[in-house]
Amino acid sequence: MGHILDWIVYKDTMANVYTPFESYNLPYDIGCKLWEIIGGTLAWLIDLIFPGNVVSEWLVSDAVTTLLGLIVFMLLIFIVAFVSTLIVLWEERKVLGRMMDRRGTMVGMKGFLQCVADGLKTFQKENTIPAKVDKMTYMWTVTLVIGVSVLVLCMVPLSSRWYVVDYDTGLLIIMAFFALAPFFILVSGWAQNNKYSMIGGMRAAELMISYEAPMLILITTSALLAGSFNINDIVYAQMDSVWYIIPQVIGAITFFTCAVAEAERVPFDIAEAEAELVEGWQTEYAGMKWGLVMLADYMRGSVSCSMFVILFLGGWTLPFIGDGPIPEIVFLLKAYIVFFFMSYARAALARVRTDQILNLGWKVFLPLSIFNLAVVILLKVGGVF
Amino acid sequence: MMSDSIVPVKEIEERMETDKMWLTMGPQHPFSHGLWTLRVQVDGEIVTDAEPIVGYLHRGWEKETENRTYPKIIPMADRLCYAASMTYTHLYCMTVEKALGIDIPEKAKWIRIVADEVCRIQSHLMWLAAVGTDLGSYTVFLWSMREREFFLDLNVKLCGARMTTNYPRIGGVRNDTTELFDRDILRTVERFEKALWDIVALVDDSSIFVSRMKGISYLTREQVANMGLTGPAMRGCGVDFDIRRDDPYDNYDLVDFEVPVLKEGDSYARYMIRIEEMFQSCEIIKQAVKKVQALGKNAPYRVKTPSRVPAGTTFARLEDPRGESLMYLVSDGTDKPYRLKVRSPIFVNVSGAKAMSVGTRVADVPAVLAQIDMCLGETDR
Amino acid sequence: MAIKYLDKYPKNLAKSLWVMKPFVVVGKLFWKNIFHRPVTVLYPYEKEWIPDNYRGRPGLRFDKCVGCGMCVRMCPTACIKLIEVADDEGKPVMRPQVNLGRCAMCGYCAEYCPLDAMTVTPEYELAEYTRYDLLYGPRRLHYEGTTEEMEVKLEVTLPSDIENGNPERRVSLFDIDRPELIDNKCIGCKKCAKVCPVDAIEMVEKGVNDKGKPILRPVIDNSKCICCSNCVLDCPKDALQIKEVL
Repeated sequence: MGHILDWIVYKDTMANVYTPFESYNLPYDIGCKLWEIIGGTLAWLIDLIFPGNVVSEWLVSDAVTTLLGLIVFMLLIFIVAFVSTLIVLWEERKVLGRMMDRRGTMVGMKGFLQCVADGLKTFQKENTIPAKVDKMTYMWTVTLVIGVSVLVLCMVPLSSRWYVVDYDTGLLIIMAFFALAPFFILVSGWAQNNKYSMIGGMRAAELMISYEAPMLILITTSALLAGSFNINDIVYAQMDSVWYIIPQVIGAITFFTCAVAEAERVPFDIAEAEAELVEGWQTEYAGMKWGLVMLADYMRGSVSCSMFVILFLGGWTLPFIGDGPIPEIVFLLKAYIVFFFMSYARAALARVRTDQILNLGWKVFLPLSIFNLAVVILLKVGGVF
Repeated sequence: MMSDSIVPVKEIEERMETDKMWLTMGPQHPFSHGLWTLRVQVDGEIVTDAEPIVGYLHRGWEKETENRTYPKIIPMADRLCYAASMTYTHLYCMTVEKALGIDIPEKAKWIRIVADEVCRIQSHLMWLAAVGTDLGSYTVFLWSMREREFFLDLNVKLCGARMTTNYPRIGGVRNDTTELFDRDILRTVERFEKALWDIVALVDDSSIFVSRMKGISYLTREQVANMGLTGPAMRGCGVDFDIRRDDPYDNYDLVDFEVPVLKEGDSYARYMIRIEEMFQSCEIIKQAVKKVQALGKNAPYRVKTPSRVPAGTTFARLEDPRGESLMYLVSDGTDKPYRLKVRSPIFVNVSGAKAMSVGTRVADVPAVLAQIDMCLGETDR
Repeated sequence: MAIKYLDKYPKNLAKSLWVMKPFVVVGKLFWKNIFHRPVTVLYPYEKEWIPDNYRGRPGLRFDKCVGCGMCVRMCPTACIKLIEVADDEGKPVMRPQVNLGRCAMCGYCAEYCPLDAMTVTPEYELAEYTRYDLLYGPRRLHYEGTTEEMEVKLEVTLPSDIENGNPERRVSLFDIDRPELIDNKCIGCKKCAKVCPVDAIEMVEKGVNDKGKPILRPVIDNSKCICCSNCVLDCPKDALQIKEVL
């Protein structure tokens, strides 16, 4: 017999031996607390009926709390990432609309519910698979493209307490997963038995070799400046000194352009150039597959913006304030501002040609990024940072 | 360089049996503005051959006219081209007037010039919109369409219909200019000239746009002459010819305007010719509207014409926004034409698709062929 | 006239490698649109202003119509048909019925109507569930609020008038042209008098023939005639033809 508060005690998650995180993790903490309320109540009820049983003890034990806490943790991370992607989608539609002298989406909540309506619509479509595609490859490549995009989006930390992994090589892991999708796009284009898709897939590969090298150089430059590949360290190093956009302006602009290419958006959306290639590598995907591919596109755009924020805009910190009460919101707002510029570029520019993006990548971005690296090394050696 | 390399790249390439691929673009393809097909042969991304296929929209227009009385063909002539309906109606009326041997009132001539130039701007804006989407900028598309809407509103103001205007008549025009039309058109043109500079800034000041158009798909004067290209495509290759100036119809000889000519002959030159033509059209409209105002309210604008056309053959031609269009009429003395032949500029211009697109990349094909300014209504008739 | 655009463009290559101007132009419009509304119109809720002479579906003023069939003859898509309906007093009369599924909205019916009974109307939302619903009978063609602007006047000037230095507009073709009788072809069958919608033709006895029967010849009342050419078309011997005044 006991009071209910005997069972719900809000234990410290960091004291839990099963906790997989080395530092405080907010979504996991919320999950654990949630389980303490539910499981604690259950345990209390069971204990009322059968005093002194083992089940009650087991329900509030560390192991069970960790397990259920992790499930809620996963859900939370995904839902927040998903909703922020929808907001990105909505933001682009509204901003593009205003720039093109139209209104953008108009369905509910200033047009936000249009995303939901689109999702429902594509969900109801028939799941058609063309007769002569390589069915297995056709399916698993698109699954991987979407899956990798969701994974990398979930892995982006929103703050020092809202993360999935906190490795010392966190940045590299994210970039590695981020760069995976073009391979699947290439294979997918091949599997679709469609000339447009094949050219689209080839172009995705072509695009990747043009931007990937300068982009990685820029990432290492930022890491060099911070002295670590750990995202936390990079962010707090910027808080301690200055946002890295100031010492590496050229690098920031180059990275932004590369990030646009990475997300396959105008002006670098040559893999799905609808003027000549219908829908590029997505041509044969119909219904919800297409809807998810589109969503994955925006997820990648959102990841690009997040990477820019982490590397150049001080992540979730604000100057003179530091973390602030809700650093997650600060981070997302910064990402939305960066995404605004992506939409801006989309409204103002046209699509480049494949040979032009190769020229641009190797003859402009790569020298610029190396120049940026040189500047950073000079600063580092000169002892400014 | 090649001989120095360890791997003889060229030899390997020659030995490798790489197939060239035929890529079918259209009729259901975002690039084909209307129902036509372009089959391009690509070697990797580079176009090695192209073959335009038209005829999906064939409606038997010329045959159908043989069964109608002369006035009833005017609404049909509207349907030849959705973007520049007024010029075709004008051309048809001009042909019949020539066959009848009558002269139309001064006011009708000036109103027709105004209407024609409004149509030219409208059609060029449609083309600009297409160039925008083909090069991947949706903003250019929407801005051009927005400007076009103002000119469609002018059509509504003038004759009550937006696109299929049915406005010129044999012997004049359908109705007099409506109240305040001259004020509205001058305002619209003034506003448009400012707005067009914005679109120009979006396209010409963007290195992406310019580099996509500049230096690709060169045509020489000889090629142009051999293929019979007309309109901006011809003037972009250095041929200084414009029917409005060199074989004036209506009152174009009294209007002061320039015919833009460029010697480059590439895709960008064709683009620039059209933009300059829009500015010149604005000038023509301003002058013509003043002439209409000067003629006063009660000037005649439509003469009565006999319903039967004397037997004989006639042809008339005018400068369509897309090139030189021509109608050839064989009449047999009844109130129906015996034969009415249309020479559509696009039908001829599209035969240059191969010469224009070979050597470019797949990505350039829409950009290059947008410069033809495809309109299938008149091509297939 | 000066060349406006070609003088400024193409810019030299160094300048054309620049992409900032598009950003400036787009940004300007974005800034403007934050405070003002974009130009688009929310169609079903807001509508653009259209003038009275807008060419929507044809309208009919039942009382003015005489059923001459001019609209039927001039319609380029053959969507008008004369049908028999009861007028206000219950008498059967012929009035046009328009099949809007075929109508091209060219406005010819309104333009060539001798009595301006047919008008254009600014009604353009004409979607229906079945094709049958698209048949607009004479009563349904009526449009509330028909104004004078919706009539399409056929104002022509005679070429002979212009030559004489009197370029005056005649309001209608139908005030000028009249049917003319070719006397030796006429057999006096009275068909023209029957088909005349305005009863302008009267059969008058002009002597007797060899067999002693009366010879009937149509006499056209010029004040009543609207030149619909019904008599010309229905004459079995082609004895009537329109005399065009030019």
